[in-house]
Amino acid sequence: MSQTPTEAAARRALLLNLSPWLFFVGLIILWELVCRVFSLPNYVLPAPTAIFSAFFDVEFSRWMMHLWATLRVALMGFALSIVVSIPLAIAMMRSEFLSRTLYPLLVVIQSTPVVAVAPLIIVMMGSDDPSRVLITCLLTFFPLVVSTATGINETPEELIELSRSLDAPTRRETWQIRIPYAIPHIFSGLKVAITLAIIGAVVAEFVAAEEGLGYFIQFSTSFFKIPQAFAGLFFLAGVSLLLFKSVQWTQQIFFAWSLPKKK
Amino acid sequence: MEHKSERAFVRMVGVGHRYDPTPGSPMAVQNIDLDINRHEFVAVVGPSGCGKSTLLRMVSGLLVPSEGEVSVFGKKVNGPRDDVGIVFQKPTLLPWLSVRKNVLFPLKHKFGRYGAQDEKRANELLAMAGLEAFADKMPDELSGGMQQRVGIVRALLLNPDILLMDEPFSALDAMTREQIGFDLLKIWDEQPKTVLFITHSISEAVLLADRVLVMSKRPGSVLDLIDINLPRPRSTKTINDPRFSELTDRIRKHIYEPDAH
Repeated sequence: MSQTPTEAAARRALLLNLSPWLFFVGLIILWELVCRVFSLPNYVLPAPTAIFSAFFDVEFSRWMMHLWATLRVALMGFALSIVVSIPLAIAMMRSEFLSRTLYPLLVVIQSTPVVAVAPLIIVMMGSDDPSRVLITCLLTFFPLVVSTATGINETPEELIELSRSLDAPTRRETWQIRIPYAIPHIFSGLKVAITLAIIGAVVAEFVAAEEGLGYFIQFSTSFFKIPQAFAGLFFLAGVSLLLFKSVQWTQQIFFAWSLPKKK
Repeated sequence: MEHKSERAFVRMVGVGHRYDPTPGSPMAVQNIDLDINRHEFVAVVGPSGCGKSTLLRMVSGLLVPSEGEVSVFGKKVNGPRDDVGIVFQKPTLLPWLSVRKNVLFPLKHKFGRYGAQDEKRANELLAMAGLEAFADKMPDELSGGMQQRVGIVRALLLNPDILLMDEPFSALDAMTREQIGFDLLKIWDEQPKTVLFITHSISEAVLLADRVLVMSKRPGSVLDLIDINLPRPRSTKTINDPRFSELTDRIRKHIYEPDAH
């Protein structure tokens, strides 16, 4: 059979778009087959169909309650992290003294496993939202500080010279040149931070909580309801993916210029 | 062309600069004496790293020379001055602003705002550069040559007396480069400026300038200052003028056989 080059290219593009979905569906089918052929018990590996039905065995309102608990902490921690990190990065960029003083501390905080610190925070601050938000913030702020600082430092030297030759106030150099220049980097940081925010919220729930998707997974596992734990896990992964996509969409809608150019 | 009758507009006397302020450390440029007249087009050529850009920064006031003095119209330059427009090697437009807003950026940046009059001026300048149809486009929708023309228009916004150009066309392909050179001369004709034009290209320097300053390798000093007595307006025909190749040969000799002089 002969094909025109454009037809071949179109088919190739279609296959390229479909391939991740096909792969995903294939994987699920394989998983189901493995479970059935070897008749694996649910606690070893539950079949996708078992996970699916476990998902619908849980009431919708319960799902929403757990979702809201996790989402609330993740988003508050994420927001706090933005509010702290970006001004901090700008201040550190402005002052060498500040950057020299604070950077080692930031690295120490980043190198300390948050999972190990979380119980201490819960003991010190109580097992309410504020301590969970703090745990989330501790996990998310570092990539944001680093990406913002990198972006600000990558402003072309010529533009800084232009600003200086105009004798413009440094405040405008920061707002009109440096911060906009950092936006592509800030968004890279935000994409990392949003997924870390979910992890932070779940870690906090593992330590002490009565609700939330992390708590739900832990609770289901301890009662040997493995398909239900898996259902919670997939739900959590879906939420995390959706949040990641939301950051991406925000960039596409409001900062389209900051995206890498398509060929 | 005669220059001696006019009073020097930009004057450099015994100018030298070292980036490391320790006495005895190597100089980037040294012993530069140069008078540039009002509305004169001076090109600077020389090997890489000879301090051409250092020279330009000293005229802009971004850099204060460690030796000698730069003055503009009799006044010593000792800090950034707002009567210069700078065009860089890369267009360095702001990717989040439209072409018109990029042109207006110096006003927005210096004063925080601009008025309807300023927008009118931006539009006129864009029209002069043949860019009126692109005023509302974003920089990445323009070709490299067009972006660089926007960069030139931006430098003209505050109507500076002096236009400083730091290898402005070196990132462009050869054909675009020749065209934009002639475009620059047309703009210079309509809006006369004192131009200091740094370039790597000997033929470009001869094609555009009234005088060409040839610099030695580091530490950069003046090897020759050549009057380019080619008729204006310059065009592609200028290249065929026998004097054109004489002049480029003379410069080339300085660059390739510096010890012969």
